[in-house]
Amino acid sequence: MFASIRRTLALAIRIVRQFVRDKRTLALLFLAPLLIMTLLNFVLGSSGSNSLTLAVVPPPGLGHDVIQQAISKGLAKAKGVQVIYIDADQVDAKLKAGDANAALIFPPDFVSATSVGAQPSVTLRLDGSNPPAAEQAKTLVTFALASLNRSAGAQPGDPSAAPVALHTSYLYGGPQYTQTDALAPLFIGLFAFFFVFLLASVAFLRERSQGTLERILVSPLSRTELTLGYVLGFMLFATLQSLVILGFVIYVLRVHYAGNLWLLFLVTLALTIGGVNMGIFASAFARNELQVIQFIPLLIVPQALLGGLFFPVNTLPVVLKQFAYIMPLTWANFALRDVMLKGLGFSDIWPDLAFLVGFAILMVVISAISLRQERA
Amino acid sequence: MVDSSAAGAALVTTRHLVKVFGKTRALDDVSIEVNAGETFGLIGPNGSGKTTLIRTLLGIAAPTSGEALLLGQRMPNRAVSRQVGYMSQASVLYSDLSVQENLAFFGALYGLRGKGLAQRIGETLELVDLADRRGVAVGVLSGGMRQRISLAAALIHQPRVLFLDEPTVGIDPELRLEFWDYFARLNQQGVTIMVSTHTLEEATRCHRLALLRFGKLIALDTPAALLAASGQQDFDHAFLYYARRDASADAAGAARPLAQQ
Repeated sequence: MFASIRRTLALAIRIVRQFVRDKRTLALLFLAPLLIMTLLNFVLGSSGSNSLTLAVVPPPGLGHDVIQQAISKGLAKAKGVQVIYIDADQVDAKLKAGDANAALIFPPDFVSATSVGAQPSVTLRLDGSNPPAAEQAKTLVTFALASLNRSAGAQPGDPSAAPVALHTSYLYGGPQYTQTDALAPLFIGLFAFFFVFLLASVAFLRERSQGTLERILVSPLSRTELTLGYVLGFMLFATLQSLVILGFVIYVLRVHYAGNLWLLFLVTLALTIGGVNMGIFASAFARNELQVIQFIPLLIVPQALLGGLFFPVNTLPVVLKQFAYIMPLTWANFALRDVMLKGLGFSDIWPDLAFLVGFAILMVVISAISLRQERA
Repeated sequence: MVDSSAAGAALVTTRHLVKVFGKTRALDDVSIEVNAGETFGLIGPNGSGKTTLIRTLLGIAAPTSGEALLLGQRMPNRAVSRQVGYMSQASVLYSDLSVQENLAFFGALYGLRGKGLAQRIGETLELVDLADRRGVAVGVLSGGMRQRISLAAALIHQPRVLFLDEPTVGIDPELRLEFWDYFARLNQQGVTIMVSTHTLEEATRCHRLALLRFGKLIALDTPAALLAASGQQDFDHAFLYYARRDASADAAGAARPLAQQ
């Protein structure tokens, strides 16, 4: 017999017994996949990742109804498209606020121009910071306009003879922006937070389990100094990591970016401080490294799914949206996108930064309280 | 610079110290006074409260009732930490760092830096006979060696009061003698030492001994006096004598209500 069944079984049974004693790991083994699948189901199902809001600035007067009819007909077959009608001066505001993905602007003299055969041009203003939506809007509108042209008797394939011409302009970015451009800044945030949290959690857990934490607390080192020391130590590496990722993203992947890179570091800084302290706090709930890893599906994956990495936050179902808004990564993503894709400045991202700073402070306080348990 | 003019003053005191963990009375009404410049030994079996007593005096554990005073401060209190050295029962070090890096870290926590730190690292390594292992990662060293580095870390900042929890476990006899010679020298410099030990022969090198059993102080005196009073020849038997005396005192007090036991 090349293997003894009894001995093999003895080992297998021991492993089973070890798992049975670790109720948390067992629970996670079964519940974590269910949790993530449920999240995905909600996010994919009702987020309507194909939903598009098109704002239309119709020409005044008679043209208003004509255009409205034409648009309803032209877009009738397009699913998930919502049309809103606005004034010309509201266009950029609506796009900035995210109330619309694109705006179709008809010139005031549209009706008269078409009737005399002059070729009026309609402007499609796109939000380049959301490339998939921009592409979708462009395709949609081009198609709709083509059918409009055909119904006006134009020959297909001859744009100069078309009654209506289409110009595109971009509020942010440009036609060269791809999905990668939109995702790259978000990965900076995700990696900064994820690794810093995990590593700080493991390092602190080791500090506890090795007994060195107790030894340190007997020394003159205060709890504040302990927390600050951890933050500084990790910040060095988190900053280096961000630098490397950023360098790679800009020079190797050749991602387009618009904004001030120092603001990115500010965001990463706040994210790192929050992540380190959250890691310190979380380590109190783990007895070993395996249990720290269990935090990944519990604390990291939901943030990645809900934080705007894959689906815009405002398209999430209401319940999930609330969760998204209390997660630091969500706000970091808002700021990172605003800076890199839209070229916005401090005055625009300060609410996001404020949340990140507030979160960091909260985590500092919580971890300080958890440390109080270590030493009387 | 250690203040030896306070010779005779009690630097470490406990008054009716009680520490309860769940249902166990780890310390049961322990009152001791350790004088400046003496080596005070704690003797007792495992679970007798030696480590708990040390931890309470260090401020790691808070008393359930009674007081623990260290250098005049009611513990827990971080104010005196600079003057206190501690070597725990399990050698507590960073396995992934080298001997040098470990000592540099602990030294820095106590305010040592630059030349002063380097000098003290060298001196303590000489003392524990590990000067040739400076650059070695602690994780690969044997238990006895880690023990020695732990002691070096406890001494590096030249504390006024030293708490040593079973410092010579796993250390060969020759080095053990050197350690105790060193402790004696420290006493002469005015350093106060509280040491817990299993080794009864080390007990004789303490100025005074406290015998602990189930968290209770069953005897406290100089080694000679303890032997004499027990009428025994060695400490093994002396401890048994005091243990039996305490046990019969327990039995006599069995009439006490359960709550007090």
